[in-house]
Amino acid sequence: MNDMRILERDVTTNTIKFAGRDVHVFYGETEAIKGIDVDIEDNTVTAFIGPSGCGKSTFLRCLNRMNDTIDVCRVTGNITLDGEDIYDSKVDPVQLRAKVGMVFQKPNPFPKSIYDNIAYGPRIHGLAKTKADLDEIVEKSLRRGAIWNEVKDRLHAPGTGLSGGQQQRLCIARAIATEPEVLLMDEPCSALDPIATAQVEELIDELRANYSVVIVTHSMQQAARVSQKTAFFHLGDLVEFGATNEIFTNPKDPRTEAYITGRIG
Amino acid sequence: MPNEQHIASAFDRDLEAIQAHIMKMGGLVESAILDAARSLEMRDEELANDVRNRDRAIDRLEVLINEQAAQVIALRAPAASDLRTVLTVLKVSGNLERIGDYAKNIAKRNSVLVQMSQMEGAPSDIRRMAQAVELMLKDALDAYIMRDVNLAEDVRQRDADVDQMYNSLFRQFLTFMMEDPRNITACMHLHFIGKNIERMGDHVTSIADQVIYLVTGDMPTDVRPKQDLTSFMANTKEN
Repeated sequence: MNDMRILERDVTTNTIKFAGRDVHVFYGETEAIKGIDVDIEDNTVTAFIGPSGCGKSTFLRCLNRMNDTIDVCRVTGNITLDGEDIYDSKVDPVQLRAKVGMVFQKPNPFPKSIYDNIAYGPRIHGLAKTKADLDEIVEKSLRRGAIWNEVKDRLHAPGTGLSGGQQQRLCIARAIATEPEVLLMDEPCSALDPIATAQVEELIDELRANYSVVIVTHSMQQAARVSQKTAFFHLGDLVEFGATNEIFTNPKDPRTEAYITGRIG
Repeated sequence: MPNEQHIASAFDRDLEAIQAHIMKMGGLVESAILDAARSLEMRDEELANDVRNRDRAIDRLEVLINEQAAQVIALRAPAASDLRTVLTVLKVSGNLERIGDYAKNIAKRNSVLVQMSQMEGAPSDIRRMAQAVELMLKDALDAYIMRDVNLAEDVRQRDADVDQMYNSLFRQFLTFMMEDPRNITACMHLHFIGKNIERMGDHVTSIADQVIYLVTGDMPTDVRPKQDLTSFMANTKEN
Protein backbone atom coordinates (compact mmCIF):
# COMPACT_ATOMS: atom_id res chain seq x y z
CA MET A 1 0.00 0.00 0.00
CA ASN A 2 1.18 3.51 -0.75
CA ASP A 3 2.26 5.50 2.21
CA MET A 4 -0.14 8.43 2.30
CA ARG A 5 1.59 10.50 4.92
CA ILE A 6 3.02 13.88 4.11
CA LEU A 7 6.56 12.91 3.19
CA GLU A 8 7.85 16.26 2.11
CA ARG A 9 9.11 16.96 5.60
CA ASP A 10 11.01 13.72 5.89
CA VAL A 11 14.53 14.04 7.09
CA THR A 12 16.55 11.55 5.10
CA THR A 13 19.64 11.61 7.23
CA ASN A 14 20.42 11.71 10.86
CA THR A 15 24.02 12.72 10.53
CA ILE A 16 24.75 15.30 13.15
CA LYS A 17 26.54 18.43 11.91
CA PHE A 18 26.64 20.55 15.02
CA ALA A 19 26.53 19.20 18.53
CA GLY A 20 26.34 21.63 21.44
CA ARG A 21 26.85 20.40 24.98
CA ASP A 22 26.24 22.48 28.07
CA VAL A 23 26.73 25.71 26.15
CA HIS A 24 26.71 28.85 28.26
CA VAL A 25 27.15 32.33 26.82
CA PHE A 26 27.85 35.36 28.95
CA TYR A 27 27.82 39.01 27.95
CA GLY A 28 29.88 40.40 30.82
CA GLU A 29 27.96 39.31 33.90
CA THR A 30 24.76 38.52 32.07
CA GLU A 31 24.17 34.89 31.21
CA ALA A 32 22.43 34.90 27.83
CA ILE A 33 22.49 31.14 27.25
CA LYS A 34 22.11 28.96 30.31
CA GLY A 35 23.63 25.64 29.42
CA ILE A 36 21.94 24.05 26.45
CA ASP A 37 22.43 20.78 24.62
CA VAL A 38 21.47 20.60 20.98
CA ASP A 39 22.15 18.40 17.95
CA ILE A 40 21.74 19.96 14.53
CA GLU A 41 21.36 17.48 11.73
CA ASP A 42 22.74 17.57 8.21
CA ASN A 43 20.37 18.18 5.26
CA THR A 44 17.82 19.59 7.64
CA VAL A 45 16.36 23.02 8.19
CA THR A 46 16.40 23.77 11.89
CA ALA A 47 14.41 26.78 13.06
CA PHE A 48 15.16 28.66 16.26
CA ILE A 49 12.13 30.46 17.62
CA GLY A 50 11.48 32.38 20.80
CA PRO A 51 10.72 35.87 22.05
CA SER A 52 13.25 38.69 21.73
CA GLY A 53 16.16 38.31 24.10
CA CYS A 54 15.68 34.56 24.50
CA GLY A 55 19.16 33.78 23.21
CA LYS A 56 18.35 32.28 19.84
CA SER A 57 20.48 34.72 17.80
CA THR A 58 23.23 34.54 20.39
CA PHE A 59 23.34 30.79 20.05
CA LEU A 60 23.23 31.00 16.26
CA ARG A 61 26.21 33.33 16.34
CA CYS A 62 28.14 30.84 18.50
CA LEU A 63 27.97 28.35 15.67
CA ASN A 64 30.40 30.29 13.49
CA ARG A 65 32.09 32.17 16.31
CA MET A 66 30.62 35.50 15.37
CA ASN A 67 30.50 36.23 19.07
CA ASP A 68 34.32 36.33 19.06
CA THR A 69 33.99 39.86 17.69
CA ILE A 70 32.21 40.98 20.87
CA ASP A 71 34.78 41.68 23.60
CA VAL A 72 32.61 41.02 26.62
CA CYS A 73 31.18 37.83 25.21
CA ARG A 74 32.33 34.54 26.71
CA VAL A 75 31.29 31.07 25.53
CA THR A 76 31.71 27.96 27.69
CA GLY A 77 30.78 24.38 27.06
CA ASN A 78 31.42 22.46 23.94
CA ILE A 79 30.30 22.97 20.34
CA THR A 80 31.49 20.53 17.69
CA LEU A 81 31.14 20.62 13.92
CA ASP A 82 31.48 17.11 12.48
CA GLY A 83 32.92 16.06 15.80
CA GLU A 84 35.60 18.77 15.96
CA ASP A 85 35.55 21.42 18.64
CA ILE A 86 35.05 24.76 16.87
CA TYR A 87 36.35 26.69 19.89
CA ASP A 88 39.66 24.83 19.86
CA SER A 89 42.60 27.24 19.77
CA LYS A 90 43.85 25.61 16.58
CA VAL A 91 40.67 26.49 14.69
CA ASP A 92 40.92 29.54 12.44
CA PRO A 93 37.61 31.42 12.72
CA VAL A 94 37.95 32.64 9.13
CA GLN A 95 38.17 29.05 7.88
CA LEU A 96 35.31 28.08 10.14
CA ARG A 97 33.15 30.84 8.68
CA ALA A 98 33.92 29.62 5.17
CA LYS A 99 32.43 26.29 6.23
CA VAL A 100 29.60 27.88 8.15
CA GLY A 101 28.09 30.63 6.04
CA MET A 102 25.80 33.29 7.39
CA VAL A 103 22.97 35.43 6.04
CA PHE A 104 21.76 38.39 8.03
CA GLN A 105 18.49 40.12 8.68
CA LYS A 106 19.07 42.99 6.32
CA PRO A 107 20.51 42.27 2.90
CA ASN A 108 24.05 43.61 3.01
CA PRO A 109 25.63 43.24 -0.42
CA PHE A 110 29.15 44.66 -0.78
CA PRO A 111 29.21 47.97 -2.62
CA LYS A 112 30.60 46.12 -5.61
CA SER A 113 29.25 44.49 -8.72
CA ILE A 114 26.96 41.49 -8.51
CA TYR A 115 29.80 39.39 -9.89
CA ASP A 116 32.31 40.60 -7.32
CA ASN A 117 29.88 40.08 -4.48
CA ILE A 118 29.88 36.38 -5.27
CA ALA A 119 33.53 36.15 -6.35
CA TYR A 120 34.92 37.79 -3.22
CA GLY A 121 34.78 34.76 -0.93
CA PRO A 122 36.07 32.21 -3.44
CA ARG A 123 38.92 34.60 -4.29
CA ILE A 124 40.16 35.12 -0.74
CA HIS A 125 39.82 31.43 0.03
CA GLY A 126 41.63 30.54 -3.20
CA LEU A 127 38.82 28.35 -4.47
CA ALA A 128 39.29 29.36 -8.13
CA LYS A 129 42.52 29.04 -10.09
CA THR A 130 41.40 30.66 -13.30
CA LYS A 131 38.93 33.29 -14.44
CA ALA A 132 36.88 30.50 -16.04
CA ASP A 133 36.70 28.68 -12.70
CA LEU A 134 35.56 31.83 -11.00
CA ASP A 135 32.95 32.50 -13.69
CA GLU A 136 31.65 29.01 -13.11
CA ILE A 137 31.45 29.45 -9.34
CA VAL A 138 29.62 32.75 -9.77
CA GLU A 139 27.09 31.29 -12.16
CA LYS A 140 26.56 28.17 -10.05
CA SER A 141 26.10 30.18 -6.86
CA LEU A 142 23.69 32.60 -8.47
CA ARG A 143 21.72 29.70 -9.92
CA ARG A 144 21.56 28.01 -6.52
CA GLY A 145 20.55 31.33 -5.04
CA ALA A 146 17.62 31.33 -7.47
CA ILE A 147 18.59 34.72 -8.84
CA TRP A 148 20.67 33.85 -11.90
CA ASN A 149 17.93 34.52 -14.45
CA GLU A 150 17.29 37.95 -13.01
CA VAL A 151 20.91 39.11 -12.99
CA LYS A 152 22.71 37.16 -15.71
CA ASP A 153 22.61 40.12 -18.11
CA ARG A 154 23.90 42.64 -15.60
CA LEU A 155 26.56 40.83 -13.61
CA HIS A 156 28.71 43.93 -13.53
CA ALA A 157 26.00 46.25 -12.28
CA PRO A 158 26.24 47.13 -8.57
CA GLY A 159 24.65 44.64 -6.19
CA THR A 160 23.13 47.48 -4.23
CA GLY A 161 20.97 48.36 -7.24
CA LEU A 162 18.89 45.22 -6.86
CA SER A 163 15.56 45.08 -5.06
CA GLY A 164 15.50 44.03 -1.40
CA GLY A 165 14.44 40.47 -2.15
CA GLN A 166 17.02 40.16 -4.93
CA GLN A 167 19.71 41.55 -2.64
CA GLN A 168 18.86 38.96 -0.01
CA ARG A 169 19.05 36.15 -2.54
CA LEU A 170 22.36 37.64 -3.73
CA CYS A 171 23.61 37.47 -0.14
CA ILE A 172 22.50 33.85 0.10
CA ALA A 173 24.27 33.13 -3.19
CA ARG A 174 27.34 34.88 -1.77
CA ALA A 175 27.15 32.78 1.38
CA ILE A 176 27.04 29.54 -0.57
CA ALA A 177 29.77 30.54 -3.03
CA THR A 178 32.48 29.32 -0.64
CA GLU A 179 30.82 25.89 -0.56
CA PRO A 180 29.91 26.00 3.13
CA GLU A 181 28.49 22.97 4.87
CA VAL A 182 26.13 24.85 7.08
CA LEU A 183 24.16 28.00 6.39
CA LEU A 184 23.11 30.16 9.31
CA MET A 185 20.31 32.62 8.67
CA ASP A 186 19.38 35.29 11.15
CA GLU A 187 15.90 36.55 10.26
CA PRO A 188 16.61 36.36 6.54
CA CYS A 189 13.14 37.46 5.47
CA SER A 190 12.19 40.10 7.97
CA ALA A 191 12.99 42.92 5.55
CA LEU A 192 11.32 41.26 2.58
CA ASP A 193 7.86 41.39 1.06
CA PRO A 194 5.73 38.22 0.92
CA ILE A 195 6.75 37.32 -2.64
CA ALA A 196 10.46 37.69 -1.93
CA THR A 197 9.91 35.81 1.34
CA ALA A 198 8.28 32.93 -0.53
CA GLN A 199 11.21 32.87 -2.97
CA VAL A 200 13.74 32.77 -0.16
CA GLU A 201 11.75 30.06 1.63
CA GLU A 202 11.63 28.01 -1.54
CA LEU A 203 15.36 28.50 -1.86
CA ILE A 204 15.94 27.37 1.73
CA ASP A 205 14.04 24.20 1.00
CA GLU A 206 16.19 23.54 -2.06
CA LEU A 207 19.40 24.28 -0.18
CA ARG A 208 18.51 21.59 2.32
CA ALA A 209 19.56 18.96 -0.23
CA ASN A 210 23.18 20.07 0.13
CA TYR A 211 23.46 21.93 3.39
CA SER A 212 22.38 21.97 6.92
CA VAL A 213 20.41 25.19 7.38
CA VAL A 214 19.77 26.91 10.71
CA ILE A 215 17.31 29.78 10.63
CA VAL A 216 16.37 32.21 13.36
CA THR A 217 12.94 33.66 12.77
CA HIS A 218 10.35 35.68 14.58
CA SER A 219 7.70 34.44 12.21
CA MET A 220 6.33 31.24 13.64
CA GLN A 221 4.53 30.59 10.41
CA GLN A 222 7.85 30.79 8.62
CA ALA A 223 9.42 28.32 11.03
CA ALA A 224 6.44 26.03 10.45
CA ARG A 225 6.72 26.39 6.69
CA VAL A 226 10.43 25.88 6.13
CA SER A 227 11.84 23.76 8.92
CA GLN A 228 11.93 20.09 9.78
CA LYS A 229 13.17 20.68 13.30
CA THR A 230 12.21 23.51 15.62
CA ALA A 231 13.94 24.67 18.76
CA PHE A 232 12.08 26.94 21.15
CA PHE A 233 14.27 29.22 23.28
CA HIS A 234 13.01 31.10 26.28
CA LEU A 235 15.06 33.23 28.70
CA GLY A 236 18.31 31.58 27.69
CA ASP A 237 17.03 28.03 27.96
CA LEU A 238 16.30 25.61 25.18
CA VAL A 239 12.79 24.73 26.29
CA GLU A 240 11.82 22.29 23.60
CA PHE A 241 13.50 20.86 20.53
CA GLY A 242 11.75 18.47 18.21
CA ALA A 243 10.06 17.76 14.89
CA THR A 244 8.39 20.90 13.60
CA ASN A 245 5.00 19.29 13.06
CA GLU A 246 5.04 18.02 16.65
CA ILE A 247 5.98 21.42 18.03
CA PHE A 248 3.17 23.12 16.12
CA THR A 249 0.42 20.59 16.70
CA ASN A 250 1.20 19.11 20.09
CA PRO A 251 4.06 20.77 21.97
CA LYS A 252 5.10 19.03 25.18
CA ASP A 253 6.11 22.06 27.25
CA PRO A 254 3.45 24.54 28.38
CA ARG A 255 5.85 27.43 27.66
CA THR A 256 6.19 26.33 24.04
CA GLU A 257 2.43 26.02 23.80
CA ALA A 258 1.94 29.48 25.28
CA TYR A 259 4.44 31.02 22.90
CA ILE A 260 3.31 29.47 19.64
CA THR A 261 -0.35 30.10 20.38
CA GLY A 262 0.39 33.75 21.10
CA ARG A 263 -0.06 33.78 24.84
CA ILE A 264 3.36 34.98 26.00
CA GLY A 265 5.52 37.47 24.17
CA MET B 1 -4.32 23.72 27.54
CA PRO B 2 -2.98 26.96 28.90
CA ASN B 3 -5.53 29.12 30.60
CA GLU B 4 -3.78 32.36 29.89
CA GLN B 5 -5.39 34.73 27.46
CA HIS B 6 -4.01 35.37 24.02
CA ILE B 7 -2.10 38.58 23.55
CA ALA B 8 -4.54 39.26 20.71
CA SER B 9 -7.72 39.31 22.78
CA ALA B 10 -9.90 39.20 19.67
CA PHE B 11 -8.53 35.70 19.10
CA ASP B 12 -9.95 34.63 22.48
CA ARG B 13 -13.27 36.19 21.61
CA ASP B 14 -13.38 34.36 18.26
CA LEU B 15 -12.65 30.99 19.84
CA GLU B 16 -15.11 31.60 22.66
CA ALA B 17 -17.82 32.61 20.21
CA ILE B 18 -17.39 29.43 18.18
CA GLN B 19 -17.44 27.28 21.28
CA ALA B 20 -20.56 29.05 22.49
CA HIS B 21 -22.21 28.11 19.19
CA ILE B 22 -21.20 24.49 19.77
CA MET B 23 -22.82 24.56 23.19
CA LYS B 24 -25.97 26.11 21.81
CA MET B 25 -26.07 23.50 19.06
CA GLY B 26 -25.49 20.77 21.64
CA GLY B 27 -28.44 22.02 23.70
CA LEU B 28 -30.74 22.03 20.66
CA VAL B 29 -29.64 18.51 19.70
CA GLU B 30 -30.13 17.19 23.25
CA SER B 31 -33.69 18.44 23.37
CA ALA B 32 -34.32 17.13 19.84
CA ILE B 33 -33.32 13.62 20.98
CA LEU B 34 -35.51 13.71 24.06
CA ASP B 35 -38.50 15.27 22.30
CA ALA B 36 -38.29 12.82 19.41
CA ALA B 37 -38.36 9.89 21.83
CA ARG B 38 -41.14 11.48 23.89
CA SER B 39 -43.26 12.17 20.81
CA LEU B 40 -42.93 8.48 19.98
CA GLU B 41 -43.98 7.31 23.40
CA MET B 42 -46.81 9.83 23.75
CA ARG B 43 -47.88 9.45 20.11
CA ASP B 44 -47.66 13.23 19.97
CA GLU B 45 -47.68 14.26 16.33
CA GLU B 46 -47.45 17.94 17.11
CA LEU B 47 -44.26 17.48 19.11
CA ALA B 48 -42.87 15.32 16.31
CA ASN B 49 -43.53 18.11 13.80
CA ASP B 50 -41.90 20.55 16.16
CA VAL B 51 -38.74 18.40 16.29
CA ARG B 52 -38.69 18.27 12.47
CA ASN B 53 -38.97 22.04 12.20
CA ARG B 54 -36.30 22.71 14.79
CA ASP B 55 -33.69 20.78 12.79
CA ARG B 56 -33.23 23.78 10.53
CA ALA B 57 -31.79 25.84 13.38
CA ILE B 58 -29.28 23.06 14.10
CA ASP B 59 -28.22 22.96 10.44
CA ARG B 60 -27.82 26.72 10.36
CA LEU B 61 -25.59 26.62 13.41
CA GLU B 62 -23.37 24.03 11.74
CA VAL B 63 -22.95 26.29 8.71
CA LEU B 64 -22.16 29.23 10.96
CA ILE B 65 -19.60 27.24 12.95
CA ASN B 66 -17.90 26.03 9.77
CA GLU B 67 -17.71 29.56 8.43
CA GLN B 68 -16.26 30.93 11.63
CA ALA B 69 -13.77 28.08 11.97
CA ALA B 70 -12.59 28.73 8.40
CA GLN B 71 -12.25 32.39 9.27
CA VAL B 72 -10.14 31.67 12.35
CA ILE B 73 -7.87 29.37 10.34
CA ALA B 74 -7.47 31.95 7.59
CA LEU B 75 -6.97 34.99 9.80
CA ARG B 76 -5.26 33.69 12.89
CA ALA B 77 -3.27 30.65 11.79
CA PRO B 78 -4.00 28.79 15.01
CA ALA B 79 -1.32 26.43 16.35
CA ALA B 80 -1.12 23.67 18.96
CA SER B 81 -4.16 23.61 21.29
CA ASP B 82 -5.81 26.46 19.36
CA LEU B 83 -5.46 24.46 16.17
CA ARG B 84 -6.85 21.37 17.87
CA THR B 85 -9.75 23.44 19.20
CA VAL B 86 -10.67 24.60 15.71
CA LEU B 87 -10.32 21.11 14.22
CA THR B 88 -12.39 19.65 17.04
CA VAL B 89 -15.08 22.28 16.63
CA LEU B 90 -15.42 21.38 12.95
CA LYS B 91 -15.82 17.68 13.64
CA VAL B 92 -18.06 18.07 16.67
CA SER B 93 -20.42 20.37 14.79
CA GLY B 94 -20.58 17.73 12.04
CA ASN B 95 -21.39 15.03 14.60
CA LEU B 96 -24.07 17.18 16.21
CA GLU B 97 -25.64 17.93 12.86
CA ARG B 98 -25.86 14.20 12.08
CA ILE B 99 -27.41 13.47 15.48
CA GLY B 100 -29.95 16.22 14.79
CA ASP B 101 -30.79 14.57 11.47
CA TYR B 102 -31.37 11.24 13.18
CA ALA B 103 -33.72 12.90 15.67
CA LYS B 104 -35.56 14.50 12.79
CA ASN B 105 -35.83 11.14 11.06
CA ILE B 106 -37.30 9.61 14.22
CA ALA B 107 -39.90 12.37 14.32
CA LYS B 108 -40.70 11.75 10.65
CA ARG B 109 -41.22 8.01 11.18
CA ASN B 110 -43.38 8.84 14.16
CA SER B 111 -45.81 10.64 11.87
CA VAL B 112 -46.34 7.26 10.14
CA LEU B 113 -46.38 5.26 13.36
CA VAL B 114 -49.17 7.30 14.97
CA GLN B 115 -51.44 6.04 12.19
CA MET B 116 -50.90 2.45 13.38
CA SER B 117 -51.61 0.61 16.58
CA GLN B 118 -49.08 0.98 19.37
CA MET B 119 -46.43 -1.75 19.74
CA GLU B 120 -46.42 -2.75 23.40
CA GLY B 121 -43.19 -2.02 25.22
CA ALA B 122 -41.04 -0.93 22.29
CA PRO B 123 -41.57 2.88 22.53
CA SER B 124 -40.59 2.98 26.18
CA ASP B 125 -37.51 0.84 25.47
CA ILE B 126 -36.62 3.29 22.73
CA ARG B 127 -37.17 6.21 25.05
CA ARG B 128 -34.79 4.68 27.61
CA MET B 129 -32.22 4.18 24.91
CA ALA B 130 -32.67 7.77 23.74
CA GLN B 131 -32.25 8.99 27.31
CA ALA B 132 -29.03 7.03 27.67
CA VAL B 133 -27.69 8.61 24.47
CA GLU B 134 -28.82 12.08 25.50
CA LEU B 135 -27.00 11.67 28.81
CA MET B 136 -23.88 10.53 26.96
CA LEU B 137 -24.12 13.60 24.75
CA LYS B 138 -24.54 15.88 27.73
CA ASP B 139 -21.47 14.33 29.39
CA ALA B 140 -19.47 14.47 26.14
CA LEU B 141 -20.22 18.19 25.84
CA ASP B 142 -19.39 18.74 29.51
CA ALA B 143 -16.14 16.85 28.96
CA TYR B 144 -15.49 19.14 25.99
CA ILE B 145 -16.05 22.34 27.93
CA MET B 146 -14.10 21.16 30.97
CA ARG B 147 -11.41 19.44 28.87
CA ASP B 148 -12.08 16.35 30.98
CA VAL B 149 -10.42 13.28 29.46
CA ASN B 150 -11.75 10.89 32.11
CA LEU B 151 -15.34 11.88 31.51
CA ALA B 152 -14.80 11.56 27.75
CA GLU B 153 -13.38 8.08 28.25
CA ASP B 154 -16.40 7.17 30.38
CA VAL B 155 -18.71 8.31 27.57
CA ARG B 156 -16.81 6.16 25.07
CA GLN B 157 -17.24 3.09 27.25
CA ARG B 158 -20.95 3.72 27.72
CA ASP B 159 -21.61 3.38 24.00
CA ALA B 160 -21.48 -0.39 24.57
CA ASP B 161 -24.65 -0.15 26.70
CA VAL B 162 -26.48 1.61 23.88
CA ASP B 163 -25.34 -1.07 21.46
CA GLN B 164 -26.69 -3.73 23.78
CA MET B 165 -30.05 -1.98 24.05
CA TYR B 166 -30.16 -1.91 20.28
CA ASN B 167 -29.37 -5.63 20.09
CA SER B 168 -32.25 -6.49 22.36
CA LEU B 169 -34.63 -4.21 20.42
CA PHE B 170 -33.53 -5.91 17.23
CA ARG B 171 -34.40 -9.34 18.63
CA GLN B 172 -37.67 -8.08 19.99
CA PHE B 173 -38.71 -6.71 16.59
CA LEU B 174 -37.74 -9.91 14.80
CA THR B 175 -39.96 -11.82 17.21
CA PHE B 176 -42.89 -9.40 16.74
CA MET B 177 -42.59 -9.65 12.99
CA MET B 178 -42.49 -13.43 12.99
CA GLU B 179 -45.47 -13.61 15.32
CA ASP B 180 -47.66 -11.48 13.10
CA PRO B 181 -46.72 -10.16 9.65
CA ARG B 182 -49.12 -7.24 10.18
CA ASN B 183 -46.53 -5.90 12.62
CA ILE B 184 -43.89 -5.63 9.93
CA THR B 185 -44.48 -2.01 8.85
CA ALA B 186 -44.48 -0.68 12.39
CA CYS B 187 -41.53 -2.85 13.40
CA MET B 188 -39.49 -1.74 10.43
CA HIS B 189 -40.05 1.89 11.38
CA LEU B 190 -39.30 1.19 15.02
CA HIS B 191 -36.21 -0.73 14.05
CA PHE B 192 -34.91 2.20 11.99
CA ILE B 193 -35.62 4.44 14.96
CA GLY B 194 -33.59 2.13 17.19
CA LYS B 195 -30.81 2.08 14.61
CA ASN B 196 -30.89 5.88 14.44
CA ILE B 197 -30.38 6.09 18.19
CA GLU B 198 -27.60 3.53 18.03
CA ARG B 199 -25.91 5.68 15.34
CA MET B 200 -26.38 8.76 17.54
CA GLY B 201 -24.38 6.89 20.19
CA ASP B 202 -21.57 6.39 17.67
CA HIS B 203 -21.52 10.10 16.89
CA VAL B 204 -21.44 10.94 20.59
CA THR B 205 -18.52 8.53 20.95
CA SER B 206 -16.79 10.35 18.13
CA ILE B 207 -17.30 13.63 20.03
CA ALA B 208 -15.72 11.99 23.09
CA ASP B 209 -12.80 10.87 20.89
CA GLN B 210 -12.40 14.47 19.76
CA VAL B 211 -12.28 15.68 23.35
CA ILE B 212 -9.44 13.25 24.05
CA TYR B 213 -7.62 14.49 20.93
CA LEU B 214 -8.23 18.09 21.92
CA VAL B 215 -6.71 17.61 25.36
CA THR B 216 -3.92 15.12 24.70
CA GLY B 217 -3.10 15.74 21.03
CA ASP B 218 -3.61 12.06 20.24
CA MET B 219 -6.69 10.21 19.08
CA PRO B 220 -7.54 7.23 21.28
CA THR B 221 -6.23 4.15 19.52
CA ASP B 222 -7.62 1.37 21.70
CA VAL B 223 -10.39 -0.76 20.26
CA ARG B 224 -13.63 -0.22 22.09
CA PRO B 225 -15.67 -3.36 22.72
CA LYS B 226 -18.24 -3.44 19.92
CA GLN B 227 -21.60 -4.57 21.16
CA ASP B 228 -23.69 -4.11 18.06
CA LEU B 229 -23.86 -7.76 17.03
CA THR B 230 -26.94 -7.57 14.83
CA SER B 231 -24.91 -7.93 11.65
CA PHE B 232 -24.19 -11.50 12.72
CA MET B 233 -27.74 -12.44 13.69
CA ALA B 234 -29.33 -14.58 11.01
CA ASN B 235 -32.45 -15.46 12.92
CA THR B 236 -33.69 -15.28 16.47
CA LYS B 237 -33.79 -19.02 17.07
CA GLU B 238 -30.01 -19.15 17.26
CA ASN B 239 -29.92 -16.40 19.80
